[in-house]
Amino acid sequence: MTGTVVRASGLTKRYGNFTAVDGVDFTLEQDRIYGLLGRNGAGKTTVMQLLTGQLFPNAGTLEVFGREPAEHADVLRRMCFIAESQRYPEDFTSAHVFTAAPWFFEHWDAAFAERLVADFRLPTKRRIKKLSRGQLSAVGVIVGLASRAPLTFFDEPYLGLDAVARHIFYDRLLEDYAEHPRTIVLSTHLIDEVANLLEHVILIDRGRIMLDRDADEVRGSATTVAGPRAAVESFVADRAVIGREGLGGLASVTIDGRLDQRDRLQAAELGLELAPVSLQQLIVHMTGTDLGADTAEEVAA
Amino acid sequence: MTAVATAPAVRTETRSRAHEIWRIVRLHTVNPSIFFGVPWLILGAAWAVMMIIGLIITGAGGPRDEMNEGMRYSWAVLSPQWYLVVVGVQAIGLTFSFALGFGATRRDFWLGTSLMFGLVSLMNAVAIATLVQIEKATDGWGVGIAMFDSLWYGQEGWLVDFYTTLALQLLVLFIGASITTVYLRWRMRGTMSVLFGSIALILAFVAVATFTESWAAVIAWFGGIGLVGVFTVVLGLAAVCAVGGYLVIRRATPR
Repeated sequence: MTGTVVRASGLTKRYGNFTAVDGVDFTLEQDRIYGLLGRNGAGKTTVMQLLTGQLFPNAGTLEVFGREPAEHADVLRRMCFIAESQRYPEDFTSAHVFTAAPWFFEHWDAAFAERLVADFRLPTKRRIKKLSRGQLSAVGVIVGLASRAPLTFFDEPYLGLDAVARHIFYDRLLEDYAEHPRTIVLSTHLIDEVANLLEHVILIDRGRIMLDRDADEVRGSATTVAGPRAAVESFVADRAVIGREGLGGLASVTIDGRLDQRDRLQAAELGLELAPVSLQQLIVHMTGTDLGADTAEEVAA
Repeated sequence: MTAVATAPAVRTETRSRAHEIWRIVRLHTVNPSIFFGVPWLILGAAWAVMMIIGLIITGAGGPRDEMNEGMRYSWAVLSPQWYLVVVGVQAIGLTFSFALGFGATRRDFWLGTSLMFGLVSLMNAVAIATLVQIEKATDGWGVGIAMFDSLWYGQEGWLVDFYTTLALQLLVLFIGASITTVYLRWRMRGTMSVLFGSIALILAFVAVATFTESWAAVIAWFGGIGLVGVFTVVLGLAAVCAVGGYLVIRRATPR
């Protein structure tokens, strides 16, 4: 059975005057790896909390496995979500977490969990509140991987993980995903680290979806054009510009949309340099531009 | 703790309603020190202190009967109760958000937690009521102290001791848990409203009783319903907290 796992439309969550998630529409398809990307406070965790029924939306409709998630045991059973700031019962160790996990996740693989504990060198007898940030992330990663839940969320899994641990997560996730396909949602602001893992990208900023596209499409979708200012401006005149930098008579403009052979020839004739834009650069362009305006407003206020 | 080890008649593989509720009980007992270890450690330590005091007094040739009478007013038997209020708070404040992350529903979490509270209260009630009898039978553990056979205990038999402990234990656990559900649903504003509302209600009762000069009648009423009656009121309060907590937690959100 393939199909749509999550269908959200007009999904809204407000906290007083603050709108954390602002009327978003999106769908998640079965057995794909999604990146829920965005800056700190963009609304990533709120979206995941809504999808897992931890929060109740103020408006909009939400269907997860065919129905509203909150308070529906048959839906919740198929999900695993360890929040980045997850609270654990008093005096819990990660050994306690792994003991309890199989009662909640029917596909729990204890051997896999044990292997991951060794991989991450997690001290399972140490109290969770005494763990370092990286070890805490490892607990969430191990639960997420070993649960094999049909819809698994990883909330900032890389937080505090060292380079080796990040690599282990990357490898184990892809290995296990190949054997046991499932829908995975990975939220992070460390975009370059996960860029190659993702099949689909949902970029969220200030509670709104800025981009909802196939990762491959995103990777080739933007180009930076650099060269003499006049030439650059004439080249980008009727294109969608998402970023602009300049130094003296030189300009570097990032444009959205693919370039075909004719465009490339034209650019070459004008003496322009074309460079591909990484996922991270693209996202900085798309979510960072308002930053200046925002601080200016704050100063004015 | 034996009740926990033997009770799982529900098999883990079956995904029935009972399983979903029972796994919450198991979640509360994964770390047994919270509900069992620490409270009994507190009670054990209190008992040891009472024993040592008793040995010192009798060793110094103090009057055994007067010591026993004096000790009846010590609250040592109730020493774990303050800690168990905290256990009730943490069961909701910490374990609830964890259980939600693991895919439990609020409904099943509250029912499972209530079942856990019930089992713990039942065990503690049996244990305390039995310890009262043992203390009486051994003449205060051979030293003449009155730790369990104190306050209202040891006067109307095992069954009354059992019933009063059960009621008190349930109230202690559910009061901490239900106030925390209010916090999770309405945060500080809601908690303060409930707190000040309760204080206002008590003050209003005191005012009415004072102005109508009906304190004598109130005292007479409590006297009339007796020990069992008073603890039935306690049990009623526990039930109000249990039902209220269920209604409130259904829309509560973790921090």
